Amino acid sequence: MILDALILQSKLFLSEDMDINIENVDIEDQSPDKLILKDYTSMVGTGGKLNSMVIISFENHLLDKLVELFMDGEEVEEEELEEIKDSVSGETINTIIGLALPTFPNRGKGVTITPPITINNASNIKKYKNAKIISANITTEFGALSISAMGPEDMIK
Amino acid sequence: MLKILVVDDSLIIRKKLIKIIEKLGHEVVFGAKDGQEAISAYKSKKPDLVTMDITMPDMDGITAVKHIMKADKNAKIIMVTSHGQEDMVIKSIQSGAVGYMLKPVTEDKLATAIGEVFIEYASSGDEDDLDILEDEEESFHTLDSEA
Repeated sequence: MILDALILQSKLFLSEDMDINIENVDIEDQSPDKLILKDYTSMVGTGGKLNSMVIISFENHLLDKLVELFMDGEEVEEEELEEIKDSVSGETINTIIGLALPTFPNRGKGVTITPPITINNASNIKKYKNAKIISANITTEFGALSISAMGPEDMIK
Repeated sequence: MLKILVVDDSLIIRKKLIKIIEKLGHEVVFGAKDGQEAISAYKSKKPDLVTMDITMPDMDGITAVKHIMKADKNAKIIMVTSHGQEDMVIKSIQSGAVGYMLKPVTEDKLATAIGEVFIEYASSGDEDDLDILEDEEESFHTLDSEA
């Protein structure tokens, strides 16, 4: 249910807010032991009544396109580029989770969200003990992103 | 022209807000990236209005609102927030914010919000303008409008 909400809001964000065509959505059937990351990754922790980590991971080309769209024609200065990419990646996951939250169990009431953190140059995230990973890969005309949730099975299934 | 303090930890959102505010003919006196910077900037720049993000590292928007209201009980603060943060929005308004605006921020939403707080900047005139305000009824909220 949570993954469905995250996929739906990711698709709406990309296609309606950003006007990017979605070519394919692949849902990972089994919970892997580790999450393979793409070029650029942001994470948001949820707490309160839902303890989980929501992770979005972009291929570079797609994030570059999102930066271009967020900047609305304004040129990005070289020294600001990394911070802008962090910012766009973080704002994207914030937007997606913010819109998905009201469709979570109990309409997301009592769920808190941490500020996003961004990680670079990491290839994977390993799950801890009985944690479960649910994930989907969304392919667009400008590259792919994955959206995933990691946490106790009874919370994220 | 209003002097506006923009507070958001996201550089891209600060840039977007600054661009929109300047397009609306107001002056951005500072772009702060957390609550602590916001409090310092409020005291030194004395803005007419603050746009305040809620979730920020180091010091969140709610704490910053409390500090600013303690320093100036007439401060005008609009929270800028994502869907799903209703509990924190209510706490912000109880702490003294005048209302909140949902992301994504657009020129129309911000203009409406400014007009709600400063009546002299509200759209006025013919019925078409009123229709636009009605259409955008959900772009700016106060606790009263939630009731």
